[in-house]
Amino acid sequence: MKNRLRLLRAERDWSQSDLAAHLGISRQSVNAIETGKYDPSLPLAFRIADLFALRIEDIFSAENKETEE
Amino acid sequence: MPATPTNPAYRRYMRRMIPLSLVYVGAVALASVLIPDHASASVATVALALVPGFAALGWIWAMARLLVELDDGYLRMLEVRKFLVATGFALSITSIWGLLELYTDVPALPIFFVWPLWCIGLVVGQLVNRVQMGKGACA
Repeated sequence: MKNRLRLLRAERDWSQSDLAAHLGISRQSVNAIETGKYDPSLPLAFRIADLFALRIEDIFSAENKETEE
Repeated sequence: MPATPTNPAYRRYMRRMIPLSLVYVGAVALASVLIPDHASASVATVALALVPGFAALGWIWAMARLLVELDDGYLRMLEVRKFLVATGFALSITSIWGLLELYTDVPALPIFFVWPLWCIGLVVGQLVNRVQMGKGACA
């Protein structure tokens, strides 16, 4: 799954640790999600969407979405 | 596990593992001193031998609690991967060695060594996590 987490974080000038603190998870988790090594659980995806006041699909998209379009 | 555990589940894990490890080491040392080699099984020798055994059961309980209490899904996944690699590592060596014992004259591997082998497997699991998930995968 692809995501815009790094971009959204950079817009707010947050470090990975800052974002991790906002979400109540580890910095390693933020790094793994940003680099696409780990897909967040649905509850965590909702927390991320709530934090940035966006919809989940505005942040995360399927890896093959672009190739389908 | 991180060098300085910040997740409360890791802190609880350490608080459980350290006293259990002290009991284990102390009980093994005590049993080695008090029980002569090749002593027959009596109530006293079995009781002494079981003390470190129960400490080892405590380790397993502490590891199970870590998985239950870790609220960070990514860190929990890293721990589960480590446990799976360790299990595969220990089972691979013991099953292959068992067949060698069955068909050749290699010395018997005492069952006692299954646990240390599994712990070595945890280190292998940590390396696998690091290689596959990157340097951040320090759990």
